[in-house]
Order: sequence, then C-alpha cells, then structure tokens
Amino acid sequence: MIRAYHVAKRYGDVHALRDVTVKLAKGEFCYVTGPSGAGKTTLLKMLYGSTQPTEGKLLVGGIDVARLSRRRLPYLRRNIGIVFQDFKLIDSRTVGENVGLALEVLGSSRDLINRRVSAVLNIVGLPGRGSDYPPTLSGGEQQRVAVARAIVNDPSILLADEPTGNLDGAMAIEVMEILRAINLRGTTVMVATHDTGLMNRFPYRKLRFEAGRLVES
Amino acid sequence: MTQRLQLVFRRALRSLWENAYLNAVSAGVIAATTLLFGVYLSVQFNVNNMVDTWDKDVHLSAYFHPDVPEQRRFNVRDEIAAHPEVIKVRYVSSDAANLWMQARMPAMETVLAELGSDTLPASLEISLSAARANDIDAFAGTLSVTDFSDIDYGQEWIEKFQGFLSLLKLLGAVMGSLILIAALFLVMNTVHLVVYNRKNELEIQKLVGATDGYITAPFLVEGLIQGLLGAMFAFIGLAAVHRLLVARLKDTFELAITAELQFLPGPYIAMLFVAGSLLGVGAAFLAVNRFLAKVT
Repeated sequence: MIRAYHVAKRYGDVHALRDVTVKLAKGEFCYVTGPSGAGKTTLLKMLYGSTQPTEGKLLVGGIDVARLSRRRLPYLRRNIGIVFQDFKLIDSRTVGENVGLALEVLGSSRDLINRRVSAVLNIVGLPGRGSDYPPTLSGGEQQRVAVARAIVNDPSILLADEPTGNLDGAMAIEVMEILRAINLRGTTVMVATHDTGLMNRFPYRKLRFEAGRLVES
Repeated sequence: MTQRLQLVFRRALRSLWENAYLNAVSAGVIAATTLLFGVYLSVQFNVNNMVDTWDKDVHLSAYFHPDVPEQRRFNVRDEIAAHPEVIKVRYVSSDAANLWMQARMPAMETVLAELGSDTLPASLEISLSAARANDIDAFAGTLSVTDFSDIDYGQEWIEKFQGFLSLLKLLGAVMGSLILIAALFLVMNTVHLVVYNRKNELEIQKLVGATDGYITAPFLVEGLIQGLLGAMFAFIGLAAVHRLLVARLKDTFELAITAELQFLPGPYIAMLFVAGSLLGVGAAFLAVNRFLAKVT
C-alpha cells in the first residue's frame, strides 16, 4: 500500500529525511516514532502530498506522490484519511457537517452523507451528536469527530499525526481503540507518536526515526 | 448537477451571511465604482445625444445690415424660403430680439434699455434639411453679402467641440480604466480578507480532497452577488442623481443645453450590471487563486 525507495527530504541545508526505504502492506498498522524533529511529520506530510520528496520514489496506493500534479492531488487525498493532533475541525460547523465534509467534496447526495455520518458517529462512539458544535465537545470527543471525518469516505489509508498528543490517558486509549477497530476493517493505519506507553499497550510494527534516518522497521 | 449548484449557492450564501461586514464593504466598493462608471456613461450618452441633435439641427442665423429696409428683408426671407433645402425661415425683428434677450437675461434689462431697442440686429433664423448638413458652408455663400452683415451657423464651434469631446472620451476611458483597476484590487483585497477569515476551513477542505474548483466556486457566486448588489445600488444612486441633480443642472443651463437630458437606456444599464458582476467575480477569482497558490 505504501512503498518508499531511498526517499529524502531537505529544507535548504536541513535534512528532514535521509534515504528512507520502507514498505507497508495493505491492512497493516504501524507506528512512526522517534524524538521531536526525527522526521515523523515530514513522512506523513509526504504521504498525503502536502510536501514532496527531494529524492527517491514514494508510492501511495500505486501513485508516485513525487510526480503527482497539483490537479491530481485531491484525488489521492480522497483515498487517505488524516487525523491531526489539533483535530482541525471547523468550529462554526456542526459535528455532522464536519464529518460530512469529506463526502461533500466528492459530490455525494445529502441522503448518503446523512446516513454515512450517522454510521461513523456510531463507530466512534458519538451517536446522536451530529448537531453539536465542536467547541462544546471534550478533547477526546473532538478527536473522535476528526477520526469519524477521516473514515467517513472509507479510505484505504488512515494517517494519524500524534492523534493522542492533546488527550489524557483514558481518552488516548479510547482513540487508539477506535483506530485499531478501523484497522481491523481492512484500513492501513499509520500513527505518528512518541508515546511509548501507548505503543506498549497496542503493540504493532514500529518505524523508528532518528535525525531523519529510519533506524528501526 | 443541480445538486452541486445548490450546494455551491448554499455555501456562498452561508459565507455571505457569516462575513456580512466584509461582503458589504466589497459590495460598497463595487457600488461606488459602478456609480462612477454609470456617471461617465451618462455624461457620454447625453453629450453624444446633444451633439447629434446639433448635427441634425442645421440652422443658420443671418443678421441684416441695419440699413436694409424692412420690405427688402421680407423679400429676402421669401426668396430664401423658396430654396428647396430650406425647411423654415423665421424673421426676427430687432425689437423681438431685444425682448427675447430681456426675458432671458433680466439682470441686463437696464443696460439693454439704455442701449436702445435697435441694439440687436434683425435676423433670419433659417433651418435647413439635415441632408445639407455637410455643405452648409456652400449655402451660407449663396446669401447676399449686401443684405447681411454676419452669418452664424456655429459649425466650426461644433467641430471644435466634437474634437474636445473625443479628447474627453479618451480621458474618461483612461480614468475609467484606472478606477476599475483600483476597484478590482480593492475588492480583491477585501475578498482576500474573507478568504483568510476562512483559512482554516479552506485548508481542511483541501486536506479532505476538495479540488480548487470546489473551493473557488462559492467565492465566484459571492462575487457575482456582490457585483449585482453593487450595480443595483449604483443604479439606484444614478437614478437619484439624475432625478435631483441633473434636473437642477438642466434648469441652470437651459440656455446652453438644448437637447433633452435623458437617463441611461437599457443597454447602458445592462453594461453597468455586467461591469459590477465582472468586478465582483474577477476580484473573487484573483483573490482565491492567490490564496490557493500558497496552500498544498
């Protein structure tokens, strides 16, 4: 599902990633871990096309993101769900509207959007909260809304950048349980985190980075 | 397709409502610019009308020598009236000219009275058919120099005025273009503020796979609505200006303006709405694209 061949990323003289070669199979769950500045977020950003590798080849679902045009980028992202540490929800939109956004951009019918939103809110444990506004929810609930938005269009890949970074222990576990459940349904999940406790509790493959190099896979 | 259009309009109306102040500023700038454009069109339209009227109104004033006897004046009038190209000839006696002047310029009454009733010469007011407009010089040459002291048909003045008018049109077009460009940038920056106000939302839309078209479309609709609203306000403003100010100007300059001052006709009004719409849509397009170029 994801293949990187000698991928490198430089920002001027700074090497964010160096010579990364890795493969991730369909339906796999893995952590991207390492200290701050190790290159975790850079790798995820490259996977969803926010930045491009300066060297190497990076294939996501068979698409080379290094050669992807700006016009084609939205179509790659429609197959990738993304969850951020800061949730990235639109405060002036209801939970339902936030979750439905990923379907709205696809041009789905209102009826389908309503049905899918309701279904994924059930999956993330927020049934009947569609008409609430994000600021009225707790951090854990907001992150679950973000996860619901990421999976509403049934993507084949879910990328999560420090999804539990802003959450306390119990809430972090709840979110990880949801991510695990999503993975069990066949979605490839990649979680960037440096929370060793969480990685021990939910043991999966680890891609450990240090100073931009992949030191453990 | 209909569903997508509905969605675009719904998102546009929502954004208009949520950013009401900034959108009102945009519509206001468009209204002011379109009003200026409308004033320019209005002036141009009426001046053109006026010149057209002058062109069609082929008219000569021939002033008799004071020593030409009255009977001879009537004979000359009848001779001229017999010309096939002459539509109408009117004899204006010295007294009648004096009375006309007194009526038009009451402040000069005392001066005119002191100068006497024969201050202004008797004249013939001759109207020619429009077909003779181009050889009015030749017609004037047929009039006897022994009978008339001066022949005035203002053609030279009209030609000079038309030259001046061409220059005025050119200046108006240059000024109008500059105003439109300035307004475009002003509206574009206002739309940019709206875009930045929604930066977070637009970035999220990009992250979930929205195309540039999906993001841009509602802004174009917003621009169109702002443009149409702006043009509507400009139209109302223009109508008010026409009714109040232009009517007064007409009274003040009654001596000079002979043509009827008219409000802009349909095609010009349509131009006003097209200009407002283009301004709104163009500014929105430029502003959103400037933003999207920076977001990945």
